[in-house]
Amino acid sequence: MKLEGEASLPGTPEQVWALLQDPVRLAKCLPGCERLEPTGPDHYQAVVKFALAAISGKYTGSLAFSEKQPPHSLRMRLEGKGVPGFMKGEGALELTANRDQTKVRYSGEAQVGGMIAAVGQRMMEGAARRIIQQFFESCAKELRLAVRAK
Amino acid sequence: MIPLPFEYFAPKTLEEALRLVERHGDEAKILAGGQSLLPLMKLRLAAPRFVIDIGRLRGLSYIREESGHILIGAMTTHTEIAESELVRARCPLLAEAAEAIGDTQVRNRGTLGGSLAHADPAADYPAAILALGAEMVASSTAGVRTISARKFFVDMLTTQLRPGEILSQVRVPVLAARTGTAYVKLPQPASGFAIVGAAVVVTCGKAGKIASVSVGLTGVSPKAYRADAVEKALLGKQPTPKLLREAAGNAAADVDALSDLHASAEYRREMAAVLTRRAIERALKRVNGKGA
Repeated sequence: MKLEGEASLPGTPEQVWALLQDPVRLAKCLPGCERLEPTGPDHYQAVVKFALAAISGKYTGSLAFSEKQPPHSLRMRLEGKGVPGFMKGEGALELTANRDQTKVRYSGEAQVGGMIAAVGQRMMEGAARRIIQQFFESCAKELRLAVRAK
Repeated sequence: MIPLPFEYFAPKTLEEALRLVERHGDEAKILAGGQSLLPLMKLRLAAPRFVIDIGRLRGLSYIREESGHILIGAMTTHTEIAESELVRARCPLLAEAAEAIGDTQVRNRGTLGGSLAHADPAADYPAAILALGAEMVASSTAGVRTISARKFFVDMLTTQLRPGEILSQVRVPVLAARTGTAYVKLPQPASGFAIVGAAVVVTCGKAGKIASVSVGLTGVSPKAYRADAVEKALLGKQPTPKLLREAAGNAAADVDALSDLHASAEYRREMAAVLTRRAIERALKRVNGKGA
C-alpha cells in the first residue's frame, strides 16, 4: 500500500525537526502511543494502542530514523506486531519552509499482514490515512503549544 | 474464531441500556444485530470489555408514519424495512437499499441502527440516508438529540454519536410529489459490500425540469457523502442524456477515492460516475410512478 501526501505545520523546519527528534514530544503526537523509549541513537521501542471504533489492538514495535539531513529530510522505518497482525512501513519525510509554516511531504510504502490484513483489507487505506491525518493534527497542536510557551 | 472474554449485559429497557453505556463508556460496545460486531470479535480485531446487547429491548423495532416522516426504530431489521408496505410506498429508496444488503441471513439479523452506527465505508444505507435527508435520533441519559445525515457520517467507522449515546430512531421524510428515487450498486461479489453505491432522489417540476435533486454515494471514499457538484449541475435543468452524463461525471470530483484489492481509486471514480448516471436515469423514470 502506497501512502503519499502533504501536510502544513506551524513553525520553521528547525522547529518541526526538533519535534521529530524528541521522543517525549513525538510520543504525544503518535496516535495511541503509550510508550516510546530510545534503544540507541535514532532507534526507539514503541507500544501503540490502535483504536478505530470497534476495531482495536495493541502493537509493540520499533521506530527508526535514517539518512538524516537536518532540518530537511529523513527516512523513517516502523515495525509493529500485535494480536491481530503485523505492520511494516518505510518512507521519507521532506520539510520545506513556506512563509511562517513548514510543508511536510511524505511518501512511503506500508505492508500489513495477518488477520487484520485478511479481513480488514478494504479498510486498510482509509485507516492509514486517518492515522497520518491524526498524527499531523497532533504535531500542529504540539508546535503551537511550544510557540506559545516561549 | 473465539472472542476474548467480555462481560455481557442484556438490558430490557432503553433506560437500563443507557445507564449501562454511560457507566462503561468507550470500554463497552453495543450489540444490535451482531452482523458487524460479532465477526470482528471472533477474529479478535475487536475486544470490548463489556457487550451491551440491545436485542432484547422492547419498543425499538417499529415502522410508522407521523407528520410527514416515516419513523423507524433502530432495531428494525433490513428484511423488515425491505418488506414494509409503508416504506415501499412512502420512501421506497430505503427499501431498495435494504434489499441490496449482504445476503438473507444478514438481512434477517442486521439492523438499520446497527449498520448506521457502525458506519462501514462500503455499507448501503448511508448513500440512501444522505440522499433522503434523513435524521438520526440519538438517546442518552441526558435526553435525545437529532443529527442530520450530512453531519452524522464523520469518517470511516466514525459517526457523530458520542460515548453514552444509543442511536434509537431514524426519521425519513416522506417523498414529495413528482419525485423518483433509485439505488444502484456495484457489489463486491464475495461480501456483497458496495464497491460503489449511488442513491438518488429527484423531483421534477410541471415542465419536466429538475426542481430538486440529491445524490448520496457510498464505497468510494472513507465515508459516504453527498455529491454536491452533481446536484448543482442538474438543478433547474431539463434532463437530457448529455446533461446527465456530464453532471454524473462529477460524482467523485471532490473526494480522495479509496483503492484496495477489489478496485483502484481510478476505477472507483469511474464507477461512481457511471452508477450515478444510471441511478439518476432510473429515478427520473420513476417520477410520477412511471416505470418500476
